[in-house]
Amino acid sequence: MNGTPFALGLAALGVAIGLGLIGSAAMSGMARQPEAIGKIQTPMLIALAFVELVFLLTLFLGLNMVK
Amino acid sequence: MGDLLHLGTTLLAEGGAEHGAAHHGANFVGLMVYLVAIIGVVVYLLADAKKGLNNRYFTRWTTQRLEQLYLFVENMAVGIIGAHGRKYIPMVMTLWLLIFFGNLTALFFATSPTADLSFNLGLALIAVFYVQWEGMRANGVGGHFKHFAGPKLSGALMILTPMIFIIELVSEMMKNLSLSLRLYGNIDGGHKAAEAMNELGKSAYVPFGAFLMPLKLMTCVVQALIFTLLFCVYLSLVTHADHGDAHGEAHAH
Repeated sequence: MNGTPFALGLAALGVAIGLGLIGSAAMSGMARQPEAIGKIQTPMLIALAFVELVFLLTLFLGLNMVK
Repeated sequence: MGDLLHLGTTLLAEGGAEHGAAHHGANFVGLMVYLVAIIGVVVYLLADAKKGLNNRYFTRWTTQRLEQLYLFVENMAVGIIGAHGRKYIPMVMTLWLLIFFGNLTALFFATSPTADLSFNLGLALIAVFYVQWEGMRANGVGGHFKHFAGPKLSGALMILTPMIFIIELVSEMMKNLSLSLRLYGNIDGGHKAAEAMNELGKSAYVPFGAFLMPLKLMTCVVQALIFTLLFCVYLSLVTHADHGDAHGEAHAH
């Protein structure tokens, strides 16, 4: 049996935790200072993009292994 | 006429694949019909928006929306790059429109330009080399490469400088890869997910993949935003502005 789906799930788990941490930090920051929403959103999106990239790289590796 | 209906979702594409035709959801004639329709709608909207420019304030919704789109991109460019970011708006706007409409195609067709790694790599190469070019214009060729060497170190720490230089060069190369892979992964991943979910509902004739549409729409906007955002960030890293001026401009908005 191929372990790739399990490995991908594991990667998704880690990335989801990372995204959740970024989101929660941004949310609490926005709740504390609603006037800073515009300033918080941009770095948040950039951080989200970087974390997401990790999963995408894993996904490509995993899909290559399935082939 | 039957082929015309073969345009939309991946479910239809799979249906087409069943009777042997290997077309990706849309055949050539169908694609051209859609192209003509889209061009017609765009021309109409632009003409309508231009008519609204005669007023002192914009009452037509087309003019208002297009102005909002422009302001959105302008705020991004000026907010991140600084006051001198205004001259990069044409480039940023071009990238944004190209990626956003490429992504939108992914919603309605089984394939799209941004679901192709080569296209994205081309976009990323353009973006990164444009950044290098602008860095050389702003700091001179020597100054731009001095950028890569990191801070000035003295004494024994001097041996670190070549290492930093190499690492920075590699990370500059990786920008291409990360920009293109991110876009490709998100858009193509959306297709793959829709196909997998369609497969789930196949026996019940429920296109579960269609329920992913709102999520895919969000991905479209966010990915176009992130690509241009990172482009702006890279630009702001290589073209340093005098900071007081930039902040004054940012607060004015």
